[in-house]
Amino acid sequence: MNRDRRFFAGLVGVAAIVTWLIWTGITDTMVYYLTPTELYERVYERADEASERMERGVKVSGDVLPGSLVAHTDELLHQFVVVDPYNRDVQLTVHFRHPLPDTFTDEAEVVMEGRYLGDGIFEATEVLTKCGSRYEALPEDMDDRDSGYGSEDPYAGVDGGDAYGSYGAGASYGSDDSYATTGGI
Amino acid sequence: MLPAIGEFALWISLPIALWGAVMAFLGGRWGRGDLILSAERSVHAVFVLLAVASAGLIAAFLADRFDYWYVSNYSSRNLETYFKVSGLWAGQRGSLLFWALNLGFFSSLAVWMNRKRNRDLMPWVSGVLLVVIAFFIGITLFITPPFERLPFTPQDGRGLNPQLQNYWMTIHPPTLYLGFTAFTIPFAFAIASLLSGRLDARWIEVTRKWILTSWFFLTLGIVFGMRWAYEELGWGGYWFWDPVENASLLPWIVATAFLHSVMIQESRGMLKIWNMALVCLTFIMTIFATFLTRSGLIESVHSFALSLDIAYAFLAFMGVTFAVSAVLIIWRLPQLRSDRQFESFLSRESAFLLNNLVLLGSGFAVLWGTMFPLITEGLTGSKVAVGPPFFNQVNIPIGLMLLALMGIGPVIAWRRASARNLKKNFLIPTGVGLGTGVLLFALGVRHTYALLTFAIGAFVLWIIVVEFWKGTKARARIENENLAIALSHLVKRNRRRWGGYIVHVGVVVMFMGFAGAAFDREVRQSMVPGESVSIASAFGHTYTLTYEGLSTARGQNMWQWIALMRVERDGQSLGTMTTERRFYEAPPQPMTEVGIRSTAFEDLYVILSTLDEQVGMGNDPQFQRATFQVMVNPLVPWIWYGGLVIAIGTLIAMWPGGPIPAQRAGGTGTQASRRDEDDAPGKGPSSGGDSGPKGTRTAPEPVGTPAGVS
Repeated sequence: MNRDRRFFAGLVGVAAIVTWLIWTGITDTMVYYLTPTELYERVYERADEASERMERGVKVSGDVLPGSLVAHTDELLHQFVVVDPYNRDVQLTVHFRHPLPDTFTDEAEVVMEGRYLGDGIFEATEVLTKCGSRYEALPEDMDDRDSGYGSEDPYAGVDGGDAYGSYGAGASYGSDDSYATTGGI
Repeated sequence: MLPAIGEFALWISLPIALWGAVMAFLGGRWGRGDLILSAERSVHAVFVLLAVASAGLIAAFLADRFDYWYVSNYSSRNLETYFKVSGLWAGQRGSLLFWALNLGFFSSLAVWMNRKRNRDLMPWVSGVLLVVIAFFIGITLFITPPFERLPFTPQDGRGLNPQLQNYWMTIHPPTLYLGFTAFTIPFAFAIASLLSGRLDARWIEVTRKWILTSWFFLTLGIVFGMRWAYEELGWGGYWFWDPVENASLLPWIVATAFLHSVMIQESRGMLKIWNMALVCLTFIMTIFATFLTRSGLIESVHSFALSLDIAYAFLAFMGVTFAVSAVLIIWRLPQLRSDRQFESFLSRESAFLLNNLVLLGSGFAVLWGTMFPLITEGLTGSKVAVGPPFFNQVNIPIGLMLLALMGIGPVIAWRRASARNLKKNFLIPTGVGLGTGVLLFALGVRHTYALLTFAIGAFVLWIIVVEFWKGTKARARIENENLAIALSHLVKRNRRRWGGYIVHVGVVVMFMGFAGAAFDREVRQSMVPGESVSIASAFGHTYTLTYEGLSTARGQNMWQWIALMRVERDGQSLGTMTTERRFYEAPPQPMTEVGIRSTAFEDLYVILSTLDEQVGMGNDPQFQRATFQVMVNPLVPWIWYGGLVIAIGTLIAMWPGGPIPAQRAGGTGTQASRRDEDDAPGKGPSSGGDSGPKGTRTAPEPVGTPAGVS
């Protein structure tokens, strides 16, 4: 009995500490994960409710608008436009001052973390790409900050032929011509 | 031809595995030797067949057989041979086959090593192993077929992801897989023990080396992965708390808890139910890790693609494993009572238990953070995310607690620590820890967690060094040996204990390396040749890097832009270093190849982040404008040193043969082996006691060779 009591006292003590750590951890660091449309909704329609978390930052996912990437080398700034995949009229101009991930192309799907500055401008502190087809290979690994995640094989449901040639895209900021164009079938 | 043979071998391995599993359970139930023999032969046969299948797949890679879907997606003609071989585990389909192969290998080895021992357990062991193998073969055959053919033969393959074309990447997955699969053996012995009702500590003794082998590979696999991320992903860090990273960490955490709690069962006859639960949980976590990385389930929250078939198959398998384990443990509860009770909070048993609880708490936090987005979306419909800040905030305090326990555990007395024991063992180390903290504070370190890490680390290191010193000195005196020989004999006498301490030293060094991240410095600058950038390190040095110019070079399947930098530290020349951007042809993708200049205390880490649009269009320096990100990462090398020390310590602990029989040969041997331990309360920890004479008989460790595998 005595043993059990002590055992459970220890268990409850550790559980309480861990629960407290998790609870505070989540409330302190959790961010919303939104589409551009939802971001605008939050900002302009439900500003009060969300303001505190928005201050901390927000995660936004969307598609990069092809051809929109501009690199201002002298200002160390990458600027591109992200559109809502479900409503391509909703656009967000992204400013990013770090190196772009290698898998970033101007057709990539991206997840960005950062802050909405107003006037349709989003200051990203982090950009991850969701590069569908190329990362099936990575999953088991510790990776993948900039590589996106495991994904379905790109040929699923595709009968043979048309699968080839679609690599997604090349790099728009590369120097070599063959990479300056996008792929496609 | 070979690939076809491989595919055929894979197909017939499934019925053989199923046949063997049925024979094993029937043979065990009815006590029929012929059926058991058939089951064990099936284990070996399945291993051979899986080896043939894997060889067939590698042959397909080497022969550029792009009519195979898997080869065409993970290879190309100009891929280096080395990476073609590693194609076996480069992608999902191959890697599940590779999983099965590893498990087949370990199973075959375990069955072979126990061909004359533990015969009462072996039928059940073979049965469990074959069921697990059959599951993976089934997945491989029906959900992710590695030998699937395309209806046409492409001219060339799509190539291997450039990020995988890296040395560490070729050894990191196999290492991790070896760790995952090796843990199936202790699990199988535990289930066999539950099924057969032989519930003494024998399953633990038999699988001790397996547990260490698994832990060894898991640890190395994780460290290799960190190293790969650091070199290849090019963001200056090594760990991002990504779901796939967490997936590999979870089994490691639970396995670490298990590794410690089995010692309590062996020496004190306690925690039997707990150990059963932990071994099952660790196994489920290895499956969960594979599931998490394979199914894309977590990523689906972020609308990444999802492989539902795999998700369901793995969920079902984990559910069945969980249910069977739980039912068996509950069924055997009466026989799993502890021989002893906890006597005091201030005892080594409690320290071990606390270590277990804290580890599991950390594991739960990691699991929760990983699953949180999924859970929240399921419950509330709103999408949220937690990232590295969450994991750091939760796990750093937990990690510090564990660090402190590594110092407390080894020197606190068994059963009940007296005030005298506490004072004698902890007064000076605590002083050393506090002194280190104060000294660093005086030197200007203001980061709380970093200060705590170094203070607690110093506390632990002091305790371990003193333990070694006291043991060696006592032995040198009693046996009249010189110190070096005494030390080596001391370690040989009780490899697990001293090897374990060395592992702890490695962990401390590694934690200090992690703490270095608090002092990372970073600067970004766009430059043309001739310009330079300066950065101050946390140690007070100033590095100045001068951009000398760009050159191009051609690799086998890519070409490189190489930026040459001249490096000075405090005005003194350190020579040059390079940093690259590569452009791979298949698949067409750029890659950052960071330049790293390592010293014992810090890394200079240079990323060539952006090249100007017009790069290479002429000789004008303006056309060579490039943007660099320069970082100074203090103590990162200590992470790799720590990993090396951990590996050495684990190898010492798991090295086959030698000391264990001597130590357990009976009363006198036990006494002799323990006389160097100042804290042994006489009879307390003698390990032979709990399992009785049987324990002594089985003690000559049969599972000796897995270390040789490494």
